[in-house]
Amino acid sequence: MKQTTVGGNKRKAANILAMAGLIILFAAYMFPFIMVVINSLKQKRDIIKSPFSWLYTIKGLSFDNFVKAFTQMDFLNAFKNSLIVTVSATVLVTLLAAMLAYYIVRHNNTISKTTFALMVASMIIPFQAIMIPLVSIYGGTLNILNHRATLVFMHTGFSMAMSVFMFHGFIKGNVPIALEEAACIDGCTHARTFFQIVLPLLKPIISTMVILNSLAFWNDFLLPSLVLTDKKLLTLPLSTYSFYGTYSADYGTIMAGLLLCVLPILILYIVLQKQIIGGVVAGAVK
Amino acid sequence: MKTKNSGKDFCMFALPGMFCFLAVVIIPFLYGVYLTFTDWNGVSDTKNFIGLKNFAGVISDKQFWSSLLLTFRYVIVVVILVNVLAFAIAYLLTRGIKGQNFFRAGFFTPNLIGGIVLGYIWQFVFSRVFVNIGETTGFSLFEISWLSEPNRAFAALILVSVWQLSGYMILIYVAGFMGLSEDVMEAASIDGASGFAKLKNIVLPLMMSSITICLFLTLSRAFMVYDLNLSLTSGGPYGTTEMAAMHVYEKAFTSRQFGVGQAEALILFIVVACISGLQVYLTKKQEVEA
Amino acid sequence: MKKKVAAKVIAAALTMALAAGTLTGCTFGFASDPDDPNEVKKEVEIDTSTDTFQYDSSLEGTSITLLNSKAEIQVALEKMSAVFEEKSGVHVEVMPVTDGDSPYTKVVSLYNSGNPPTLSILDTTDVIALAEEKAEDLTQEAWTAEAEGYLTKVDGKVYSFPLCIEGRGLIYNKAVIEEALGETFDPASIRTQEDFTALLDRLAAAGIERPVSMAKEDWSLGAHQLQYIYETYDGTSEGAQEIIEQIKSGRLDLASYDRMNEFLNMFDILKEYNVAKGDPLGADYDEMAIDLADGKTAFWFNGNWAWPNLEEAGAETTDEYGFLPYFMNNDEEDFANRMIQGSPSKQIMLDGQIASEQEKAAAKEFLNWIVYSEIGQQMLVKSCSLIPPFKNNPYEPEDPLSRDIYEHVQSGTAFNASAIVPNDHWSVLGAAMQKYLAGRCSREELMQAIEEYWAQQD
Repeated sequence: MKQTTVGGNKRKAANILAMAGLIILFAAYMFPFIMVVINSLKQKRDIIKSPFSWLYTIKGLSFDNFVKAFTQMDFLNAFKNSLIVTVSATVLVTLLAAMLAYYIVRHNNTISKTTFALMVASMIIPFQAIMIPLVSIYGGTLNILNHRATLVFMHTGFSMAMSVFMFHGFIKGNVPIALEEAACIDGCTHARTFFQIVLPLLKPIISTMVILNSLAFWNDFLLPSLVLTDKKLLTLPLSTYSFYGTYSADYGTIMAGLLLCVLPILILYIVLQKQIIGGVVAGAVK
Repeated sequence: MKTKNSGKDFCMFALPGMFCFLAVVIIPFLYGVYLTFTDWNGVSDTKNFIGLKNFAGVISDKQFWSSLLLTFRYVIVVVILVNVLAFAIAYLLTRGIKGQNFFRAGFFTPNLIGGIVLGYIWQFVFSRVFVNIGETTGFSLFEISWLSEPNRAFAALILVSVWQLSGYMILIYVAGFMGLSEDVMEAASIDGASGFAKLKNIVLPLMMSSITICLFLTLSRAFMVYDLNLSLTSGGPYGTTEMAAMHVYEKAFTSRQFGVGQAEALILFIVVACISGLQVYLTKKQEVEA
Repeated sequence: MKKKVAAKVIAAALTMALAAGTLTGCTFGFASDPDDPNEVKKEVEIDTSTDTFQYDSSLEGTSITLLNSKAEIQVALEKMSAVFEEKSGVHVEVMPVTDGDSPYTKVVSLYNSGNPPTLSILDTTDVIALAEEKAEDLTQEAWTAEAEGYLTKVDGKVYSFPLCIEGRGLIYNKAVIEEALGETFDPASIRTQEDFTALLDRLAAAGIERPVSMAKEDWSLGAHQLQYIYETYDGTSEGAQEIIEQIKSGRLDLASYDRMNEFLNMFDILKEYNVAKGDPLGADYDEMAIDLADGKTAFWFNGNWAWPNLEEAGAETTDEYGFLPYFMNNDEEDFANRMIQGSPSKQIMLDGQIASEQEKAAAKEFLNWIVYSEIGQQMLVKSCSLIPPFKNNPYEPEDPLSRDIYEHVQSGTAFNASAIVPNDHWSVLGAAMQKYLAGRCSREELMQAIEEYWAQQD
């Protein structure tokens, strides 16, 4: 991606203007996150009284909140649980959704159409409406709650619709059928065509979906709280429960806990960002 | 791909994903629909079939209809603002601006903070920071907390929703722009098409699939807004910002009218399904033409 | 290549941010400062030397669950369960209800999952909703005699264990009042609405212009304040029930009901002297605790559960805080002006449906242990900081708010009335009260909203 330098002063002025707008917006978007970082280092009283004060004016500034959050959350164990659940569910949903979407795009039959319509419609089901039926079926009837595998399965099911929807849009717009037809002539099986030709083309959307899904799984609270009650299985967001009281919340620890929870996701994002920039699609299309 | 072994294809490509989806979403949903015809209260052992009585309860629940109307107003504003903003930012972020990776990471941060922390921080911004500015500058817009006056509380809700949702949509629009082949963009530049014309005639049609997705996502998410509603205004001041999803939840669990709440959820679902169905149909048509 | 540079910049920025954080953290965190808020609080000492409780050895190895909806005692409950397990061999798994989940919703979902907790800590309305179908009848338990007057009965039967007494009123900060007025302050000298208003005026003249904090939260307005109109009918739960029936049936016109008008008179006084008068719905709950501890205000309408907030705001257990009644009128003889409201709030329900006999027996032993064993008694009061509703418990709460309620209960200047209202009472009428607090509706409109609400209940 190279900078377009065609054009004169007018272009430059527009660029500067765009840049300025971008920086202002950027500050607005970053602001709450920075607030969390700053306040995670303070005690509750200072957070309430002077949340904007700069770090050096506050006494008693320390990493205590992080230490407290780390131990109270049983961080390493919760981290392990979150990691297992998030990675398995993300891999599963990405793969299954890509295949399903590919099938739907390439087979214009009744099953495809019905499934797709059903999925689109299902994305607007309020979660609260299926919460109680869900636990009745999986807990009361099947009795398989309190297993990580059940949670992985449910995460996969719940994010299937949106993932298929996204892959569907991308495959339709960006994966030329000509490539597959060529492969067909070469005698490639469908499975090989998909894994060797189609899947690599999907890299930008896979990266996006991996970020979005893993973020959703990693941070989800409601579903895991319904599925997991065994303390040994709790995921990171569930393990921050003790920072919230009925009448008072321990803000410093909550923010420190939040940062400990999101740090891995932030790192993942930065890593995947490079992947997107690899420009795989541009290369393949040429 | 017309082939002989499409059955095998189906089993391999479509079945596993469909199974997860049906088992986790559709079956519980149908069971939930069945519950709206019973007098089950969520815990008791007996379920009696009571026909449409719960739906009669929905019709007489004035609060529900007014919250639905409010949700419509909210959705319209949010959907427009989110998409315009996210599209514009994503466009700027894929033009090769210096430090664009850094920028992208920044615009992503709204997604990292959720739940009570998000609500708390924004509450703080509206009740203190703004009030502080109002006090020092005498600017009457900021004299009292935005959250204590119905119209401003509504505006606050929109502002935060736009902030949060657009962070998500930027990501999808960025992926869309990255998917555009560079030839297109370069060709457009060489043609000397002016910025706006290039956008309208070349970029927009090619981005239609991303737009369909983003419109749909913002539409459904805005209709379903719950967490933010709860943590920022919790329906206040005096119940004036209670959106439909929050009302449904309150009905089922705070007012303990499980059947009516479940029926309201179903009606909400049908309303949203019709609207977003129409939207997908309309924007998809654009895609085909492009 | 530009991309690589950008990535490096991000990495470097992150590293620097972390490093900077570490440095500042060290510099400030380890500075020895007398006011350092980071100093670790001392653990409460529990004397475990004497234990005359009879444990049933046949229950050893049983495992039960306890759903806790009082997040602030989660850690203390876990400690309690550990001590109990060591002594009795019964394992009590303490499950938390997290923020955003109401205890009722959680219990509902757990019953649906076929895996309900053996014991659940719930609000009184939840127990009443679930009692007959799900709960074990506890009427025959020995501890019911120790909690006389604090039991909740459904059709004459006891289905729940009263965990604690909670009281509410106007919290005062004695030191602040004394400093402002330059004289000793005797809370007993304030006996009527007039006395109270006079005191507020004197405080205002002495520089504390608006000495009252009142929460805008719907649970505070709709449950803790408005419910005085039922509870002060005659100061008993039965009386509260009676007046509710009258309002519900439409036999009583609220405008002609004295307690309604008296309540609003008092509410108007609080409103007038509210520190956040300019924007009462913009008030912040956490800041109220700080204002009271710092002396920006002298009163805060709240209950003894507010102690952790005050403590975080810098209050010490040796400071003098206490409660004034919610003055209803100018009659010194009226009980409402002399007494503090204090009644059982959280209840423990024992599952009678799914739990096995062995589990039920273990759960009952745990409840008995809390009431009768020396260790259980101590831990309920000291570790959990609760006010025990059991007469045989000799321990006194340590924080000033709970101690004040405790003393009122002991000296007979507390009235125990709990109004049983539908679960959405606080949210629906809390909203109506917010409107009144903001000056957006008249008394008549507020009363109309209350009457309409009750007319809809069946």
